This record gives sequence, C-alpha cells and structure tokens, in this order.
Amino acid sequence: MISCGCFGGTTFHGLALAPSICRSTSMFSPLRTLTLTLAATNPHHRLLRRVLFPTVVRAFSSTALPTVPITKQEGKAAAKPQWKTAIDFKWIRDNKDVVAANIKNRNSNANLDLVLELYEKFLNLQKEVEWLRAERNVVANKMKGKLEPSVRQALVEEGKNLKEGLVSLEEDLVQLTDQLQQEAQCLPNITHPDVPIGGEDSSIIRKMVRSPREFNFNIKDHLELGKDLELFDFDAAAEVSGSKFYYLKNEAVLLEMGLINWAIAEVSKRGYIPLITPEIVRSSVVEKCGFQPRGQNTQVYSIENNDQCLIGTAEIPVGGIHMDSILPESALPLKYVAYSHCFRTEAGAAGTATRGLYRVHQFSKVEMFIFCRPEESNLYHEELIAIEEDLFSSLGLHFKTLDMATGDLGAPAYRKFDVEAWMPGLGRYGEISSASNCTDYQSRRLGIRYRPSSDTPATSKKGKGSNLAPTQFVHTLNATACAVPRMIICLLENFQQEDGAVVIPEPLRPYMGGLNVISPKAKTSQ
Amino acid sequence: MKGKLEPSVRQALVEEGKNLKEGLVSLEEDLVQLTDQLQQEAQCLPNITHPDVPIGGEDSSIIRKMVRSPREFNFNIKDHLELGKDLELFDFDAAAEVSGSKFYYLKNEAVLLEMGLINWAIAEVSKRGYIPLITPEIVRSSVVEKCGFQPRGQNTQVYSIENNDQCLIGTAEIPVGGIHMDSILPESALPLKYVAYSHCFRTEAGAAGTATRGLYRVHQFSKVEMFIFCRPEESNLYHEELIAIEEDLFSSLGLHFKTLDMATGDLGAPAYRKFDVEAWMPGLGRYGEISSASNCTDYQSRRLGIRYRPSSDTPATSKKGKGSNLAPTQFVHTLNATACAVPRMIICLLENFQQEDGAVVIPEPLRPYMGGLNVISPKAKTSQ
Repeated sequence: MISCGCFGGTTFHGLALAPSICRSTSMFSPLRTLTLTLAATNPHHRLLRRVLFPTVVRAFSSTALPTVPITKQEGKAAAKPQWKTAIDFKWIRDNKDVVAANIKNRNSNANLDLVLELYEKFLNLQKEVEWLRAERNVVANKMKGKLEPSVRQALVEEGKNLKEGLVSLEEDLVQLTDQLQQEAQCLPNITHPDVPIGGEDSSIIRKMVRSPREFNFNIKDHLELGKDLELFDFDAAAEVSGSKFYYLKNEAVLLEMGLINWAIAEVSKRGYIPLITPEIVRSSVVEKCGFQPRGQNTQVYSIENNDQCLIGTAEIPVGGIHMDSILPESALPLKYVAYSHCFRTEAGAAGTATRGLYRVHQFSKVEMFIFCRPEESNLYHEELIAIEEDLFSSLGLHFKTLDMATGDLGAPAYRKFDVEAWMPGLGRYGEISSASNCTDYQSRRLGIRYRPSSDTPATSKKGKGSNLAPTQFVHTLNATACAVPRMIICLLENFQQEDGAVVIPEPLRPYMGGLNVISPKAKTSQ
Repeated sequence: MKGKLEPSVRQALVEEGKNLKEGLVSLEEDLVQLTDQLQQEAQCLPNITHPDVPIGGEDSSIIRKMVRSPREFNFNIKDHLELGKDLELFDFDAAAEVSGSKFYYLKNEAVLLEMGLINWAIAEVSKRGYIPLITPEIVRSSVVEKCGFQPRGQNTQVYSIENNDQCLIGTAEIPVGGIHMDSILPESALPLKYVAYSHCFRTEAGAAGTATRGLYRVHQFSKVEMFIFCRPEESNLYHEELIAIEEDLFSSLGLHFKTLDMATGDLGAPAYRKFDVEAWMPGLGRYGEISSASNCTDYQSRRLGIRYRPSSDTPATSKKGKGSNLAPTQFVHTLNATACAVPRMIICLLENFQQEDGAVVIPEPLRPYMGGLNVISPKAKTSQ
C-alpha cells in the first residue's frame, strides 16, 4: 500500500542551525473575509486591544505606566483581575486624534473618550493619594518628638483620619485602575500607514501568481472527489462528534502527513526552529494573545471545571513560550516553525462557506512565528509573505496576496497579508493563509522584552545594573505555512484529472512515500 | 367492545377498560424505571475473561515473550530529561507556565523524532493491510461511555468541553470504534482493520509520584493505534496478530522489552484479554509500558451497536432490514492495540541509544522518515 520513501534529501543538522531569512504566516481567522456582514458582532472587533506606535516603545521601567491587573471582559461583571499589561496612556492622550481615526477605520467598539476620561481621573486620584500619604508622613514625623499630651492626642486623631481617607482612596484607585485597563485593552493596535482604509472590498492585491487552470471536462468539488476516492468520512464524524468534524482515510492521511512534513522541512531549512506545542493552554495566555475565550460567539473551546482552553492556532503557545521573559538582543530574531492541531468553535459562521473541509472544528496547521526588534518587524513581515508565496507557488497553485484593509484586521495586527488560493470546485478564491505583524500588542500583554546590547559584552538575562540599557518590548509576527484542510481542497480541486484521479505536486511526493497520483479504487463490496 | 352490546354491558366494559389502562400506565412507568436501573447496574459488569488469563493482581501477570536484554553501558548514563535538556529537545518549564504541569514543547530533532515515529508506524502497519485514518479528537461523551470509559467518574481520565456534551479523546480507540456505530456490516467486509493517528488527551487525575517525571506521564501526546472489527470466532486469532505486529515493530527498532499477559486485576472493564508490552528504560532503571493490545470481544460493539450480517445462501445481502432469507445479525468483536505512543517511544530511544559523547543514535528503520538523520548530536552552545 504505502512504500517507504525518503523524506527530503537534506539532513536535519543543517536545517535549524542555518542562519537565514525566516518568515511566518498565521491563519488568524478564515472567518473574517467571509462574514464581514457580522462585523458588529464579530468577536475580533471586540478583542482586547491596545494602541502603540511601534518605534516609540516606552521602557517598561517608566513610572508613567500603571501596571495593573485587568478585568476579564467588557459587558460582564468585573472578575478578579488575573494579569497585568503595560499600556502607554500618555502616548494615547497625546495622539488621541490618530487613535480615534484608527478606531473608526477598524470598526472598533473601543471607547476612547472613556479611556481618556478614566485616565485623567486616575492621574488626579493618584495625586490625591500621594498627597495624603505625604501628609500622613508629616504627621507621623511630628509625633516622633516630645509632645504635650493634648497636642499628641490631636495628632493621633489627625493621623487616624488621614489613614481612613487614604484607605478609602486607595480602594478607589484600584477600582479605577481596573476599569481603565479594561477599557484601554479594547483599543486596537495602530495601523501601518500603507494599509488601505475600508472594508473587505478595499483590500489591495499585492501579487497574483498564475491564473485559473482551464478544464476541458466537468470538474468535481473536493467533497465529491473525496467521496469517489474514499478520502473522507463526514457522515460518521457527524454521528461520533458532530457537524464540521471529519475522518481522513487512505491517501488523504498521506496527504496530511506529507503536507506537514514538507512544510516543517521547507521552513526549518530557512532557519526556523521546529516546535511541537501543547494544544491545551491557560485561558489567560489566550487572552494575552488577543483572543477572547469568554466572548459571545467565541472561537475558543474551554475545558470544563478549570481555566484551560484548546488553542485555535499555534500562535498562542508559541507566543507564550517566552512570556514574562527578557531575551538578550543577540537572541533576536527568534524564529520558530510550529506544528499543532487547532480547534475552533466556528460559532456564528453559517452558510455555504462551511461545506466540507472549508470550515471545520479541528485541523492541523504549521505556523511560523518571529520575535524580533521593533525596527525589523516590517522587514520580517515582507520575508514571511515571501516564504508563503514561495511555498504555495512551488505546489503549482494559483493565488493572490492581499494587503488587508483596516476593517479586516484583527485587533492585534498592525498589518496583515492574506493569501487566497483559487478553488475551482468552489468556484472562488479561499483564504489559505494569513501573515500578521502584531508589533508589540502581544508582547506587552505576554511580557516579552529584550535587552539591547550595551558596551559590556556579557549582558545578564535578568536584573538591573547601572550599565544595562533599559529593556524594550519585542515585536511579534505570525504566519501560516500550511493549514492542511484548505490545502487539501486546493490540491484535490486543482489537480484532478478527467478519470477522477488527482496528481500529487512534485515537491510533496518525497514526503508521501513517493506517491505520484491518487487513483480511483476498484469498487469494494462495502 | 367491538360488537353490538347492551348499554349496561358496554358501560361495565368501559369501566373495566379504564381501570386496566390506569394500572397499565402505572406499571409501564415502573417498567421504564426498572429497566433503567437494570441497565445502569448491568453496564457495570465487566467483560468475561479468557480462560488462559492469570488470576490475581499486577504481580500475577505472565511474561509471554522477552526480546533481547538490557544494554550494558560503560559510561554514566543520563535519563531522558537530562538528554533532552542537553540536546535542547524539550521544554517543560515554558509549558508549565503556558499550560500547566505535565505539558511540554518538543524542539529541534525531537520534532523530527515525533514525525518520524508517526510516519513510520503508519507506513509499517498500513503495509500489513490496515486502512489509514486520521480521526476527530473531540467526540460526544456518549461515544466515550459506549467504549467503556467514564467521562464523569471521579478521577476521570477524560477532559470535558465546557457547555456541551463533548469530550477530548484519550485514545483513537474511541473515534475508530465509533466510526461504525449503529451499523450492520456485511460479513464480507470483515475483518475491518484500521491504523489511526490522533493526539490523545488525559487528565491523569489520581496519578502521582515518581512515575510522572518528564515524558512518562503527560496530558497530551501523539499515538498511532490499530483497531480491528471482526467475527467473534476470529478475535483470539487477531489478538495474536496484533501483538505480533507490535513485537515486530519494537524489535525492529532494537528495543529490549517483554510482553505480558495481564492478570484479571489489571484488565480494563472492556477487555476479555490484554497483552502489555513493557520496554526497558535504562534512565528510569525499570520497564515502562509502551503499548497495550486488548480483545474487547463484544463489550464495545454491544454498546456502540455494531453488528454484522453473516452471509446466507442469497449472495446479495442487504445492509439493513429483515428478510426471510437473511441470517440474523450478530455483534462483531473489536480489538485495539498501540502501534506507537510517541512520548514513551522517545524515552526508549533516547535512553537506550545514547552515546558517551551525549549524542543519540537513530535506529535504522526510522532514518528514512527523519530526512535521513542518523544521529542527534550535542549542539554548539549558543548565547541563549
């Protein structure tokens, strides 16, 4: 049945360690391009957001940054805050027109006026608290010397009043800070100046590769091909699991394994460190990456009776791998290629765009992820999309690369390139990958910094010294190298033959035991 | 009351009918309740046991086969955790932050190792006539129960999804068993043999102690599973076939292991008979289970509703329905066996094939599935 073949010709050793250009893409949401009419309830527009100009990164040690816990979700009673993030309120206040325009362009629900109002209140309250503390110290100092009993008594009274007032104000301050964080977290990332402004139709085509293949026979869609070639079973999966689940059978198994092996090999050849990640993560990590586990129409499956979720993309565990860390500058750029299964509820998705493998609850994906210095993120974004275009082109696909418009960016994305491939059976283009530059949106939430190299060559990992440069937030990027089900749709529909067979593109054959073509089988009795 | 009657006679009959009906409704309610209770208790009954199975606890299991002997090392060996650390293969610490304990990232050559093991196992088993499958990892909890697991039990091994009746699978046995649930297979389809790849998720609630270090006991792992649906009279035969395939596979990698016929105290409720393979893990200093092969006879098929129709004289037997010529359906037997549970295989490979210089040699059969990689070598130290 399956012959043992060699997988690729290169030995691993040269792969991960070769210093070379790396790129990454991510399947942030196939949902977005198809359901823009749901924008008002689109969970991505209500994602936790923040605004920060990428090249003016405030050092974390700045005292202007309140680092306070945030509350979980707007619209719900404030749950006990679980994690902190650093937001540059001063910059927001000083650039509020830019921020307001950005919010509008992105169709975001964020309430900038409220944020600014709360920030002013916060500053005032903070001053009051500081003043009260100072007064209390004055009184305390006065009480240190020798005093008349009546004078002492009066001071004790005064001290007591001040203390009560202080406690009360400090409680207010905590509440205000939480509220401020909650509102500010809704602010989306700022936007690259070249990004087109508008909705789905405003996205710009950056590149077009090939053109639709001409068929001289009646073509089938992937579902029919899968049925005839005995590659999938959706019906049994509907019984066992529910709709939008599937079994892969026979050569489709080889196809999935082949695509994964090929993608990992091709990307690690370019200098990315291979990773296999956990698929269950703490829900706080999901939130820090910009997703909403508890939002209405959430894409995220939660585990019962604990604070864990299933990942919808390896972006989450990879981003988390360096959370709350300070990386030495020499470690950057840090490039990973990660394989995981992904789980998505696809709540709120309906209609014909959900047939077959196009929209499913579980799928395999190979994801590229980069941690880099802020001044390099635009460069790596270009390199990531170039890797994707290389990979998809090498398989012989016809596709276009889009610079997504402001209305179509996820909250974390400063800029996003999507690749849409031609799916002849569906009769239209379908998103097969997404490459986002998230600048410091995720890193501020995940607490990922780097220490720029100073004169002293031996920089320590943590800690402060008078010679060490202040740390800065890294930039993160993610990009899809291969989302298996949609690639299967592309391969089956584009490379089908008149006799019902499907030809395997050359680059995949070594990863499929040398299989050239998937042929119709002799009919069996079942 | 259908004929013509005197009014008074009719009236008496109506009264009698009414009383009977009330009594009937009440009894029928009792019957439903009793049936439920009976089912609930009866479902707790374990499968019967093969006559050759040793009776007793863990220590009563019998060794069926022993392959090779522990390798002798002339240097101080490391366990898989230390090897993984030195060769930059795992990260348990970052995973503890991101996910919790007993989670891990695989890095660098360990990724190749996992992919290589999966690809090799699928290829080797499908060569032997098993249909490859990739399965859902989220299933309805009813299917989990029908396979003999308890999603809601105390110390359950099963993760449940919030706000719905779905669970994560702990083994591909569940979605594969379910693939033919509530079906009648033609006899000609049997035996139906699958080799399935899936990720597996287990809470490991109630597991504690040293047997949980590193990769030995984790919440998420990859596994290639073999599954057979067959006629009852053939299940013992296929049980032998499954264990033979496993012994072939593990032997080809150069491992030292023993096959055990598990004693009655150690069988799961569904298993009529169970063979476990325990491989020598020198870093741990003991044998560790790397696979399990169970003959579940009709325990699962009765719950999942999987039957077959024996061929009768009429060649064209229909899939469903009754006809006077068709033989009555029977329950199939099901068997399942681990072809490859990746983390424990990784432990075996790293610990058994480590070299004095800290490198690990890849067994020959795996190399074509790892891009030709022969050996995992220590890396030059990087600045991070």
